[in-house]
Amino acid sequence: MSDPTNAAAPETAAPDMAGLTKRQLKRMKRFDNPWNNPKLIWGITLLMGIIALGIFGRIFWDTDLVFTGAVLPSQAPVGFENLRGQVGLASSPLGTDVAGKDLLALLIVGAPNSLYVGVLASLIGMSLGIFLGFTAGYTGGRVDDVIRVGSDVMITIPPLLILVVVQASFGDITLTMMSLLIAAFVWQSPTRLIRAQVLSMRESGYVQMARLSGASDRHIMFREMLPNLVPYLFGSFIANVTTSIVTAVGLEVLGLGPQRVPTLGRVIYDAIDSAALTRDMWWWWGFPTILLMVMFIGLLLINLGLDEVSNPRLRRL
Amino acid sequence: MKTTTRLLLGTAAMTLALASGAYAQDVAREDTVIFDLDRTISDPENFNWMTDGTGIRRMHGAHQTMWEPLFILNYNTGELDPWLALEANSDADGAVWTIALREGVTWSDGEAFDAEDVVFTVNMALENEELTAREVATLRGQVASVEALDSHTVQFTLNAPNPRFAVENFGVRIFGSFLIMPEHVWSAAEDPATFAFFPPIGTGPYEYESSASNRAIWDRRDSWWGAETGFMDMPEPDRVIFLESGGEESRAQLMIAGELDAAQNLSVGTFEAIQAQNPDAIAWYESYPYAVADPCARQMEVNTTIAPWDNANMRRAVSMIIDRTQIVNIAAEGATTASQTMFADFGSMSPFIDAVVEAGHGLPATADVAGAQALIEAEGWVRDGDYYVKDGETLSVEIHVNSASTEYTRTIDMVVEQLQRAGIDARSVPVENGVFWGEVLPFGAFTMSYSWLSCGSVNEPWASMGRYTVADVVPVGERSPGFNNTSRWDGEAAEAYSAIVNEMETMALGDPAIPGMVAEAYQYLDAEMPFIPLVQAFKLMPFSTTYWEGWPSAENYYNHPFFHWNSGHQIIHNLTRAE
Repeated sequence: MSDPTNAAAPETAAPDMAGLTKRQLKRMKRFDNPWNNPKLIWGITLLMGIIALGIFGRIFWDTDLVFTGAVLPSQAPVGFENLRGQVGLASSPLGTDVAGKDLLALLIVGAPNSLYVGVLASLIGMSLGIFLGFTAGYTGGRVDDVIRVGSDVMITIPPLLILVVVQASFGDITLTMMSLLIAAFVWQSPTRLIRAQVLSMRESGYVQMARLSGASDRHIMFREMLPNLVPYLFGSFIANVTTSIVTAVGLEVLGLGPQRVPTLGRVIYDAIDSAALTRDMWWWWGFPTILLMVMFIGLLLINLGLDEVSNPRLRRL
Repeated sequence: MKTTTRLLLGTAAMTLALASGAYAQDVAREDTVIFDLDRTISDPENFNWMTDGTGIRRMHGAHQTMWEPLFILNYNTGELDPWLALEANSDADGAVWTIALREGVTWSDGEAFDAEDVVFTVNMALENEELTAREVATLRGQVASVEALDSHTVQFTLNAPNPRFAVENFGVRIFGSFLIMPEHVWSAAEDPATFAFFPPIGTGPYEYESSASNRAIWDRRDSWWGAETGFMDMPEPDRVIFLESGGEESRAQLMIAGELDAAQNLSVGTFEAIQAQNPDAIAWYESYPYAVADPCARQMEVNTTIAPWDNANMRRAVSMIIDRTQIVNIAAEGATTASQTMFADFGSMSPFIDAVVEAGHGLPATADVAGAQALIEAEGWVRDGDYYVKDGETLSVEIHVNSASTEYTRTIDMVVEQLQRAGIDARSVPVENGVFWGEVLPFGAFTMSYSWLSCGSVNEPWASMGRYTVADVVPVGERSPGFNNTSRWDGEAAEAYSAIVNEMETMALGDPAIPGMVAEAYQYLDAEMPFIPLVQAFKLMPFSTTYWEGWPSAENYYNHPFFHWNSGHQIIHNLTRAE
């Protein structure tokens, strides 16, 4: 009973370092810097990998091969055969599609493009959300009512439905235009959540203090309160990037979005449209799908990592 | 990999099959023939084909099973096979035509089909400008008056002599024919333009069962005039279904799973993949290129009212930039040939094609980009970086393309690349099928578009050439009559062209002067390029012999395999149960 290493020791006791294995101790130390989080690092590495593919690919590979008729069509990757029994050529290591576009070039250009749409849409959406959330939470009253009801209404509208109609009527649009359209549907949840946080923060001591010392509303909102929300905003931002990419890819897979600018979703659309499954051209839809998976897993890991950074209770030994 | 894919797809196909099982319960699969439909039935309970420019109110089975044509042009023999009519004769110069109808034909409600129905329907077409289907517009432009000589003889007096009158209007030369409607039903309609004709009736061996946006079902009647009069036996299939397959991939999967007996156009690679998994799949030819020549050669329509493309030199430059061989190799996977003229490369058309080519107006199969750039630069455009610029404006063009088939979109993707490389900021604008045919093309709401609007000629040149005369020019925003001259090409050259073509219109088929006149008129087309011929059209329409045999093919050439045409009756009548 009096064994000091007993697992059932009183919770009030100081942590007993002696009872931990070496590994746990090592992990414990790492928490000195919460940003040194394995999930976060892995997530960032995966995303950096995609960005690196875009940068180094542009240096070492000819990106003009993304255009129709650039290379021999319907070729399998190196070491594989297509349905006609032709062996893949080294000039197109990941194979080509039926319109004579090089898969590797498509991935080099397309993957960063998909990421770009997600990040840009999320940046715009978040900025809007931060501004509206703070304004609503801090100002209160009529302004709050309008913003709250507005975002509540918008949150009930399924974005894909509206975007399909809007983009179909546009015909061909640019990546930036697409990001802007998507941004119009990703500001609502940050607005709601930030508003809630601000409401509770408004009554805290340091805010009262700042107010008493005559700081302007803007100063209080963005200089005093915002820094406290940073880890939280990061998490929300990453979640929004994921949503935006899913939306963008969803639209692209339906054949909407830019016509001549390669994106991963567009490659998958072309593959479906040309019966790549039936034709056993697995490289055509397989590689972009893998890259999308990498992208989403990366984003998920970053999100989980950020959660642990901002919420120590989630950290486990 | 392959097995997994197949497993996954098999499951998907099964789900589809089960979902479609809801309507297939009462008629067994082996008694049903299922055709592919490549578009959505936008208004499933409207059977007014006369107000529909897209053809969807007919091609979902209505004009293959229920509404019969007067004649069917046999592409093999070049003859008109009689159907509801027996023969059509004209006076010496072709200005008065007499059509003899078959006796004993009845509508499915028992009423007799006779000359009164024909006269009524034709008069309806003549009197109502709002009836806009291509066949109605064509007939309205040609017929001055119509009368019934007796209960089974109809006489047409034409505005001008037309030796092709019967085949053009009643012979299913391309896609449809002017369909006769029952007077005893339509006479009750207050306004033929808004009449929905639902439920529809016809003279054919099948009657309407049900329809939805993605399918139409037709059931065999107990009796049919054709069997009663000894014209033909009852067709074997108890039920005919037209099912919207929705794209190349699902079309291919339905073919493999045996859930489709006849599919719309597929690319060569996909067909080979189908055959590898379903040996029952056949096409027109047993081996590569499998596909059958389609009479509608592909082209790019140019709106000649929009700058800078209102300038003939700019249009010619575009034509010179286009590498037709590359389109053949990439968009058609090698299964077609480059167009030399606006005409379909049929043997029957070769005198006219040869005349044009000999006169030096034939199109090259490859590009002359330098020559094109010289033309563009002569018009004051200067290359600045990627694109040409003039007065601060970049040389750009949007090309509207129907998104219903990869053949269309891929061709235009290819053209876009070629134009881009030559310094024109081209982009493709894919448009949904109904919007494309209903709004973009007829009203000139495009700068350039991918189409086949010079389609028409099969054995003589006028049907195609007559579509670009100045008589059919209307302002942008108004409907082009019968999709004719949607380029809105006019001016001196167009008038000179029209004069020759109009003269040709009244000449007898086979007149030895015609090839020379074609070449003479063609110089204006070549110089002005109101449309830019691209490549020949080949259609690879696979059939499955799992349940049905007797499909048309090069070996069994009773007619062409275009089952979405009004001639689909012949195919259905030729089907026999597979052993």
